[in-house]
Amino acid sequence: MAHIWPIGGGKGGSGKSFITSSLGRLSAGLGRKTLVIDLDLGAANLHTLVGVPYPSKSLSDFLQKKTERLDDTVVETPFENLFLISGAQDHFAIANLPHEQKVKTMRAIMKLDYDCILLDLGAGTSFNTLDFFLISQNGIFITTPEPTSIENVYRLIRSVYFRRIRYGFSVSQFKALEEEAIEQFGEGASGRPEFMMNVIARDYPERFRELQKDFDAFRFRLIINQLHRRDNPALGAHVCRIIEKHMNLHVEFMGNVSYDDHVHDAICQQVSYLDRYPYTKTAGELRAAGRQIFQPAGRQLMLQYV
Amino acid sequence: MRKSFAELNYYEMLDVSPTAAAFEIRQAYGTALQIYRTGSAASHSFFTEAERREILSLVEKAYRTLADELTRKAYDDELASRGEIDRPAQAGPDAKKPVGIFNISRVRDRQPVPANQESLKSKIRESERISELTARSSLSGAGLKEIREELGVAIAQIAQATKVRQDHLVNIEEDRVERLPAAIFLKGFVKSYLKYLCLEPVEELSARYMETIARLLRREGAQEQE
Repeated sequence: MAHIWPIGGGKGGSGKSFITSSLGRLSAGLGRKTLVIDLDLGAANLHTLVGVPYPSKSLSDFLQKKTERLDDTVVETPFENLFLISGAQDHFAIANLPHEQKVKTMRAIMKLDYDCILLDLGAGTSFNTLDFFLISQNGIFITTPEPTSIENVYRLIRSVYFRRIRYGFSVSQFKALEEEAIEQFGEGASGRPEFMMNVIARDYPERFRELQKDFDAFRFRLIINQLHRRDNPALGAHVCRIIEKHMNLHVEFMGNVSYDDHVHDAICQQVSYLDRYPYTKTAGELRAAGRQIFQPAGRQLMLQYV
Repeated sequence: MRKSFAELNYYEMLDVSPTAAAFEIRQAYGTALQIYRTGSAASHSFFTEAERREILSLVEKAYRTLADELTRKAYDDELASRGEIDRPAQAGPDAKKPVGIFNISRVRDRQPVPANQESLKSKIRESERISELTARSSLSGAGLKEIREELGVAIAQIAQATKVRQDHLVNIEEDRVERLPAAIFLKGFVKSYLKYLCLEPVEELSARYMETIARLLRREGAQEQE
């Protein structure tokens, strides 16, 4: 089974698609059969970054049952070993993927036969994004050093956390838990999964152990993208420390990727940044990040709770 | 059940090992402030204002406790009794610790004086000549030399142990006033000399020697004027 790497980041413009395409290129360059899937539904543009400006097929062919298998929507890219499922030319309503469609897509993704699958997720914290993020234990969070972006990435991590808790409970149970958390920890506790876990530990010790085991197995990672020269390079480590100490969730810092104007140039000229500017600091940092994801640790989550 | 921040011990709060040296704790405190201070990028939006205040006060308390050696030791004992950390091993020589620049000379002072201290002391007690010399109101270099020879100590031995150059010691013993070092050094040299020979009381004897030398100098000055 393929190793799936969901890549998300909360805020738009933090470089999710750029990082996805770069990591995909690096993985393919090592001779691994790699697939990048554009799941930024309704705002797809990964195809342009991997050199397929007008993809002939897209994910909506599968969703609208024009093709039977997800495999048939895969298009080749100009790069060897790199394949794409595009989200281009989607139906305008695709951003609101119904639940059955989502589960169907997730099942189909799990069955694909590739060495490495990268999911480019959209901004925001819609259930689509969260569920696709939880498809694997190897999720990567991307943020820039700006407070707005950091705020969004915290928001995303908390939402993912909540979503995972939510799977195990019925609507009424979850509501009761929420009320209890607010009662115990005050207003504002409803947005704090760590408080919710405290309540669960008391009310459902069995479930709590299960969840805890699951969270311990997650191998989430963090990349700080667009780090300017005067930014604090230790920021990523600090963010991971806060998540670890205050949310009891382990997130590993994968590294900084420096800001480089040439990224903008390469995207505008529609050429691969890694090919055009291979000796820049940023390219080196991307390669270092790429090396880390080629030894995946977590297992894929089964879909039993979707 | 995992711990909330307030339940962590001070080392965990500052994210340092319980064996960390003082400077590491200072650095960790700086990092913690960088993370938790108001307006910090890393913790932006993560905490409410009240939580941030509480965390900062905990960090402050943690640092205050660990920064002071005494309170840290008491805290370590408390943690060890709760079994949270291993009892701090009685560290052998502090080979790894940096030496404070102001402590170097003091450490040297405390080094053991020559092994034959006891025999020297008994010789001093027994020898009439020495007690006669030390009882006099003046003490010259010649007197010192006589005492040293009476005790059977070589001048090189003193030079080696006190780290005072041998030619200085010879000049002192020969009363070559014109070649003696400045008074402040001279006094120190003579004190080391007296200490090495276990002659008591050092302060009084060295003061008497300095007076003697001063008199010698004055006399010489008067001769030159004539």
